[in-house]
Amino acid sequence: MKNVIEVKHLTKSYKSNKAVDDLSFEVKEGEILGLLGPNGSGKTTTMNCILALLKFDEGKIKIFGEEMAPDAYETKAKIGVVFQEVAVFDELTVYGNIEYFCGLYIEDKTTRAQYVEDALKLVGLEENRNQYPKQLSGGLLRRLNIACGIAHKPKLIFLDEPTVAVDPQSRNNILEGIKKLRDDGATIIYTTHYMEEVEILCDRVIILDHGKIIASGTNDELKALAKIEEKVTVEVAELSPKQLGGFEKIKNVAEVSYENGVLKVVYGKGKNNLAEMIEYLKANRISYSRIFAERPTLNDVFLELTGKELRD
Amino acid sequence: MIVSKAFWKIAIKNIGTIILYTIILLLFGSINMNTSTTTTQYEAKKPSIVVFNHDERKGVTDGFMTYLEKNTDIKTDYADDDRLKDALFYEDVALALDIPENYHQDIALGRNPEIRMRASAGYSAELAKVVVKRYLTIAQAYAATNLSEADLAAMIDKTLEKNVTIDIKSSVDTSKYSKPTRYFSFANYSILACVITIICLIMSAFNRVEIRKRNLISRTELKQMDRVLLKNCCIYAFGVWLLYIILGFVTIGSDVLWSAYGLLYTINSLVFTICATTIAYVLSKLVHSQSAISGVMNVVALGSSFLCGGFVPAEYLPDSVLAFAHILPSYYYIDANNKIMAIESFDWNTLWPIILNIAIVICFSFAFVALAAYISRKKQKIA
Repeated sequence: MKNVIEVKHLTKSYKSNKAVDDLSFEVKEGEILGLLGPNGSGKTTTMNCILALLKFDEGKIKIFGEEMAPDAYETKAKIGVVFQEVAVFDELTVYGNIEYFCGLYIEDKTTRAQYVEDALKLVGLEENRNQYPKQLSGGLLRRLNIACGIAHKPKLIFLDEPTVAVDPQSRNNILEGIKKLRDDGATIIYTTHYMEEVEILCDRVIILDHGKIIASGTNDELKALAKIEEKVTVEVAELSPKQLGGFEKIKNVAEVSYENGVLKVVYGKGKNNLAEMIEYLKANRISYSRIFAERPTLNDVFLELTGKELRD
Repeated sequence: MIVSKAFWKIAIKNIGTIILYTIILLLFGSINMNTSTTTTQYEAKKPSIVVFNHDERKGVTDGFMTYLEKNTDIKTDYADDDRLKDALFYEDVALALDIPENYHQDIALGRNPEIRMRASAGYSAELAKVVVKRYLTIAQAYAATNLSEADLAAMIDKTLEKNVTIDIKSSVDTSKYSKPTRYFSFANYSILACVITIICLIMSAFNRVEIRKRNLISRTELKQMDRVLLKNCCIYAFGVWLLYIILGFVTIGSDVLWSAYGLLYTINSLVFTICATTIAYVLSKLVHSQSAISGVMNVVALGSSFLCGGFVPAEYLPDSVLAFAHILPSYYYIDANNKIMAIESFDWNTLWPIILNIAIVICFSFAFVALAAYISRKKQKIA
């Protein structure tokens, strides 16, 4: 697959603070690349540099094989951006807003009208077409923001935390819409600090911290870095220190913690850990109300690599 | 282009503001138009005087008394000296005359007798003195000719009957143009308010950082977008001006505006509207908060209208205020309106001050355009 974006040694500083530090990566055609990192990790700065909205100190950026610049209008015609902040006109209706932003790319009125309808359908705002932004809920406003960014059917889409502060229904709608865009052939750069979204959506993930790439790969590749095979959580009303010590002696157990009636057992490797745990509890006559197992998350990866939680 | 379409959609969304300022122009402009600043009718005022005649009413004394009765308001009941002093102090009486005994005989004999005059401090006293001295000067002039008492009195009366006829060469009734002057001067406020509010509201919508970022990453060139916006601002301002000219024809009357005077008012207001557009364009570069626009508009439109004579005729404003107003384009616009009203004949001497004022307003426009370009260049660098 072709590279849609090529970033090489990108560096951007604000005075003495390096917001992006020697960043290099590629984005393949048709994939969803997740840029994951806590607030201030350099996700938005990286995106703004790629879009030529920010001047950068060093590095090279190519989009569709062309060097990106403020006057690269042919390249810009293929790009759609959904910013973190809602960027719509309060004075225009939902339809008017989508039509305006689509109209910056599509001059033909008939094509434009069709594209606007498609965008309304994609984000589920057909019923709200004549409403003004101030009449929309936060979630619907976010959907409008997305529709404005993608109405012209771009080949490359940048989505900068599009689900911040939205209700679950709108979030699902937005995520479904993004999948649909990918299925239609768009390449997507998705920045977020919600690891669940990255796990659901992204084909490949780049984890950023302090402007540097600390890990990249597919979800499974990244989770392999966590050195955790499985986490088993057991709700136990009471445990004696002797019983607790017993868990640490179980095969493959790397870590045990017990707090507020919740026992967490981390397995470094091994299969059928949950079944073995149930057997152990039964054998030692330890009563429990609930038990479940989890695969490691990207947060565990982040924790493993940086020693801090993703949302710290 | 889609940018123009969005521009006019936003303008129409704010049509209430345009209607509001138009109603203000019609309402207060009409009231203002009926406030005439030119006095066209004069009425002679008779000064109040008190006469103590110690002479017999004969000859010149009789003629003098008849003259005073005709040209002044002779008060009585001031026999008490203290009361008379109070009346003179409070200007209830302008002048008190004491005609001495044998006055008519002494005049006839050419002796030049003196009439004692006590005057108050006001303007009426000066007027009364002029009236009295007019008779006495003529009387003394004829007294030197050795005429008989009867002939002397007759000659004075005959001389006083002579009137000077003044021919007014100008046939232009300038008061006819006080209405359009008041209308167009008040329009200073409406034009500024309407143009600044709407242009700033529209431009602030386009200049919002998030919107501008979206425009920046689009395939449309930002300079081209700015040109389209500026063109639409000019079209909008021209529309406002045209609306106010049409309303001017309705409220003032086509006979006044369909004349050389009307042409001058129209040109002057058009130039000022262009200047108002440039002011709005500069402000739109500086003010991005929609809530702040109303405040800024009030400061600019109301402030300049008050300071430059848009609401109150300039002649009633203190010199210090007018001196400050010289730095505002509104002053030259309103001053030009006043000068148009004062034109009695169309020649270079009368037109030149008006042309100069219009040229100054054009210079202001260029200065604002340069300022807007400077601010744009400064802000172009996002990073």
